[in-house]
Amino acid sequence: MEEPALIRDAQHGDLEAFNTLVLAYQDIVFNTALRILGDEDMAADAAQEAFISAFRALNSYRGGSFRAWLLRTVTNACYDELRRKRRRPITPLEPETEDGDEVETPRWLADPNASPEEQLDQAELEHAIQHCLENLPTDFRVVVVLADIQGLDYSEVAAAVKKPLGTIKSRLARARLRLRECLQSFRELLPAAFRLEEERGL
Amino acid sequence: MTTPSFRDLEQLSASLDGQLSQAEKTRLEARIQLNPALAALLADLRLARTILRQTPKRRFRRNFTLTPTMAGIRPPVPRLVPAFSWASAVAMLLFIFTLGTNLVGRLSFGAAAPMLAAAPMTNESYGFGGGPAATQPPVTDNTQVIPTAEAFIMTVPETTPSGDARLIEPSASTVTKAAPEPVNIWLYIWLGLGAVFIAAALLIRRASIQAFRRKVGRKPNP
Repeated sequence: MEEPALIRDAQHGDLEAFNTLVLAYQDIVFNTALRILGDEDMAADAAQEAFISAFRALNSYRGGSFRAWLLRTVTNACYDELRRKRRRPITPLEPETEDGDEVETPRWLADPNASPEEQLDQAELEHAIQHCLENLPTDFRVVVVLADIQGLDYSEVAAAVKKPLGTIKSRLARARLRLRECLQSFRELLPAAFRLEEERGL
Repeated sequence: MTTPSFRDLEQLSASLDGQLSQAEKTRLEARIQLNPALAALLADLRLARTILRQTPKRRFRRNFTLTPTMAGIRPPVPRLVPAFSWASAVAMLLFIFTLGTNLVGRLSFGAAAPMLAAAPMTNESYGFGGGPAATQPPVTDNTQVIPTAEAFIMTVPETTPSGDARLIEPSASTVTKAAPEPVNIWLYIWLGLGAVFIAAALLIRRASIQAFRRKVGRKPNP
């Protein structure tokens, strides 16, 4: 069934139609929350909360990009989670050893389908990106996650965060610059392909 | 060569996403040719963007599909409700039980009344005069049955006003034999009706919930 028909049915209370949409969008919603929050369980909570809110507020959807509308819901859920996180003890992203040292390349970040080398590369890349994302102010992080990680265009990002296009353009430029500076400190951890590209760029 | 400004940064970033007009793009490209700092900044931004786009995608270990409970959907209540709610069912059960018990009790007393009416009564047994005097000859027919009030009045003058009251044991020949206790059939009938009503209510409720679940297409998370 086409997405507009599913949305229309869901707006009339058809939970099965809505769950079809959930299955189609759950990865993008979860990954968005994961990159904004940096914690898998918190991201899952935010994603679930976002879908519940989306179902209840589905009648407020008036057309346009459903993905952007959904991502606005998850972004709001992430802001709520971050507010809660400030009131709770912070769980470190990296697991710690018995001595309290952070595990540099944690196994729990690995994709079990990849080869060991690929797993290592992916884990290091993900670790570096997540670390740098978390050093950004939340508003910048949200924009860069939506635009560069999820691939939304400027108008979709603007719709998702309810800010004008100029603000999106500005935040994205500054976020990219800060990320570039941060990622330089992880130069040795980045996969070889990126190092070569970097050398070509310079 | 000049240090890139914040405006340059914004334009370079937007150019990566194709957000510049053709005129802006042409002007920027000309400046990049003349200013290596702009070219270096553009390369930095492009690399950051490329790395971010390579961020591994993760899948959570379960789906995020909603159950009717999570979605805040409640099964529709049958139209005959509130008769089918739990509280109503219990109240109905208690009502039927009370009604049945009262009815059975009334029927039981009603069955016992004729026995009392038929019970043998002596003139002494009413306590007039406290029973026969010791001088009086013993009442031979001490089991005289007084079936009616009229008969009772007629026998009163024969009693003496004094003497020990003596309750005369009725003889087996005059006492109407006690009827066997009636079976409380109504109690069982009422309780059975109540049980049938409650079972019907629960069955209807269950059927409506199942129909609702089929309608909303509840899917368990894998």
